[in-house]
Amino acid sequence: MTAAVDSVRTLQLREIGPAERGTRPEEVVIALSPAFGDPFTKTIVDVPHAEVVRQLLAGIEERGGSARVIKVYRTADLAAIAHFGAKLSGSGIAVGVLSRGTTVLHQRDLARLSNLELFPQAPLLDAEVFRMIGANAAQYAQGQSPKPVPTRNDQMARPRWQAKAALLHLKEFDCIDKNRNAVEVEPVITRVD
Amino acid sequence: MTAAPELTPADYPLSINRPELLRTPTGKTLGDITMDAVVSGEITAEDLRVTPDTLVLQGRIAESMGRRQLGENCRRAAEMTAIPDAEVLAMYNALRPNASTAAQLEEMASRLEDTYAAATCAALVREAAQVYAARNLLAEED
Amino acid sequence: MTAVAPRSESTVRTSKRTEILEARPVNLDGFVEEWPEKGLVAMESDFDPAPSVRVEGGRIVELDGRTREQFDFMDTFIADHAIDVDTCEAAMATESVEIARMLVDPRTSRADVVALGRGLTPAKILEVVKLMNVVEIMMGIQKTRSRRTPANQAHSTSAKDNPIQVAADAAEGAVRGFAELETTLGVVRYAPLVAIGLQVGGQVGRGGTLTQCALEEATELDLGMRGITAYAETISIYGTESVFVDGDDTPWSKAFLASAYASRGIKMRFTSGTGSEVQMGNAEGRSMLYLEIRCILMAKGAGVQGLQNGSISCIGVPGAVPGGIRAVAAENLVASWMDLECASGNDQSFSHSPMRRTSRLLPQMLPGTDFVCSGYSAVPNKDNMFAGSNLETDDYDDWNVIQRDMQVDGGLRHVREDVILQVRNKAARAMQALFAELDLPAITDEEVEAATYADSSDDYPDRDVLADLEGARSVMERGITGLDLVKSLERTGFGDVAENYLKVLRQRVSGDLLQTAAVLDADFVPQAAINDANDYAGPGTGYRLSGERWEELKKLRHVTSAENPEEEVV
Repeated sequence: MTAAVDSVRTLQLREIGPAERGTRPEEVVIALSPAFGDPFTKTIVDVPHAEVVRQLLAGIEERGGSARVIKVYRTADLAAIAHFGAKLSGSGIAVGVLSRGTTVLHQRDLARLSNLELFPQAPLLDAEVFRMIGANAAQYAQGQSPKPVPTRNDQMARPRWQAKAALLHLKEFDCIDKNRNAVEVEPVITRVD
Repeated sequence: MTAAPELTPADYPLSINRPELLRTPTGKTLGDITMDAVVSGEITAEDLRVTPDTLVLQGRIAESMGRRQLGENCRRAAEMTAIPDAEVLAMYNALRPNASTAAQLEEMASRLEDTYAAATCAALVREAAQVYAARNLLAEED
Repeated sequence: MTAVAPRSESTVRTSKRTEILEARPVNLDGFVEEWPEKGLVAMESDFDPAPSVRVEGGRIVELDGRTREQFDFMDTFIADHAIDVDTCEAAMATESVEIARMLVDPRTSRADVVALGRGLTPAKILEVVKLMNVVEIMMGIQKTRSRRTPANQAHSTSAKDNPIQVAADAAEGAVRGFAELETTLGVVRYAPLVAIGLQVGGQVGRGGTLTQCALEEATELDLGMRGITAYAETISIYGTESVFVDGDDTPWSKAFLASAYASRGIKMRFTSGTGSEVQMGNAEGRSMLYLEIRCILMAKGAGVQGLQNGSISCIGVPGAVPGGIRAVAAENLVASWMDLECASGNDQSFSHSPMRRTSRLLPQMLPGTDFVCSGYSAVPNKDNMFAGSNLETDDYDDWNVIQRDMQVDGGLRHVREDVILQVRNKAARAMQALFAELDLPAITDEEVEAATYADSSDDYPDRDVLADLEGARSVMERGITGLDLVKSLERTGFGDVAENYLKVLRQRVSGDLLQTAAVLDADFVPQAAINDANDYAGPGTGYRLSGERWEELKKLRHVTSAENPEEEVV
């Protein structure tokens, strides 16, 4: 389940400057939530945030795309985070990710509460799924219509994860900083053996 | 819907104990709703609706059990039987938060009163308008 | 997948016993610490308000520590619609412990404690139930539940939205005893065909079962107005203003909708439950039960006859905090005490542990409620489009044995295999005839055969989904009504099913099903909290499992005959 990694990777999000509108027509923006990477380090099922970012970037790259990563502080609403990212994206395509792992693929011209693909069940998102999400994002950015990432369902996810999801949601809300603008970051992934 | 008889819990269920009080919107009795009448087309979907009079009777039974609010709901429902399906849904949507301006809600209340004689429903809408104004839940004025 | 994976392995050596305990299903459940400041707490929080009420000029001007200027819209609606202004000051002056005792003491009548309850504020009600342990809460439910005879409700859905499967499982559910059947969809456009399957199957299994299809408000009301469904339930309400608004409704819009249903003669109840507000991140620092009590009073104020509560789809939240299942039982008690029909949850996958699933069920099953489960899965959970239930088809025999062990009526019974096969087959054949008559995509004999013997959607031939969706669209476009279905069933030789269906539709004219906790019995007599009002007044009173019904529940799949121990009782 939890991304069977032999070694641990850590993620550092090094601030580059204010998040600005991109110009590359095929780029994908990865928009991260307020608590992503700091103070949280892994998703609800312990996928390290380093792994999430690494797989998204790898998926984008293997489809010939390029990416920028931004961190949003003013909201913990996934749709708002992703839509904000999409508006800054040169292609209009963004991947929004919450700390607990919930992910959405968004496009600039869609309504905020709409989306290209939504992955609401964070406990079912592993490294492989994040890679597929990255790959699809790159294809959307290149104007293609990829096959949606297969959705998974698990009716026993509720008893195991619902309360922890609520707790993580509350904590993420606590990290909202209404006065702090979104920033562009460089993800620095370090392998610790 | 005036001069409805006083009812007590012993009259319930009306379909068993007081069928003589019940009519379809086209004036037929419960006993008229038979399979033969359905097959022959004498009974149509229009017959299978509740009338305002019946709703008032059910409201009285509810009140005789001490269920004041259920009685009120039956009274509002009695008024609403006159409103076409699509307009009922449109009015519901207009009552959602941030969906209507104060003027639009007042217009709806007047229409309920003037077109449908729905005074209780109109009062509910006016009350909503007041609360929405206080809680910042009215649509922005253009 | 992940939900059944074990906890992350530790390298520290553990005992063999610990290994065994770690592998127990209960350790796949999630548990969290309380966080009362954020509302992540079941029912005992220092952040809930203290009870208070003040009346001036015939109007409540203070409620639980807030003055009218400080009211949010829940306070306003509750003060103006739910609480009896004339009695509230006296009721609030009654000691909470005295009220709690009245709820438990059989010598206090239901009528008296219900009348007192009409004058109480949410914080006062909370203060009362906080004094009660879970057994006392069950005593309270036993007395205050509105209908005398308990009942049960089923989910009948299909992972493939297969209407024949839904019909066959509805028929089996109805013959096993469910009074209400509920469906919903994977692909929403399938709704008309699946709702027809539910209705037809229900009337095959036992005439008089009531059906509903959970959809967004407009379509749900449309199917109801056409007479394809008989009641509605998924009308959600919430305990804080912000979450209510996030759900795109207000107490006034929902009250209007309640009247809209009644105006069409359609039974309806609201839905709410502990945990929804904190799950959505806006509990405003109140405990889950305090917020649920606000929902219950809002429902009462709207004049809706009943409420589905007991956490429902958020059960994982109260289920994870200390005392959470006690709070869930308490919310069922409060709904009953406030004189509403209570469809008491037990309807969503709750735990990996069979022991825990059962213990969560008992506070509703033992005292009995208006609907013990507001959705027992009458299909295998993998086919359950409500995301799984606490009880499912492979629990049928356990349920029947528990009823027999405890001598309690949970609304179901054991039914012989030949009877089950017969009703499943008949439901599928009725659908086959109906679809042919209405020019809908054909149902093959192979499908009828599959429906007769199937367990899950895997056991059916695949349907041509696009053709079915086209058929579903045409049902709506042609304006097909329940009455059209009755006529078609009559014409195609299913006269008894047609007759049952017509009798259900006829109830619309009488409005009898609008009364509190109304269901139809097998003779199509409406049974509500009026002619079948709960009259529990201590030992020897109220509903007792006895006579013919008790004889029926003594039957199980395997019971050794006393007369001839070499044989089993049939």
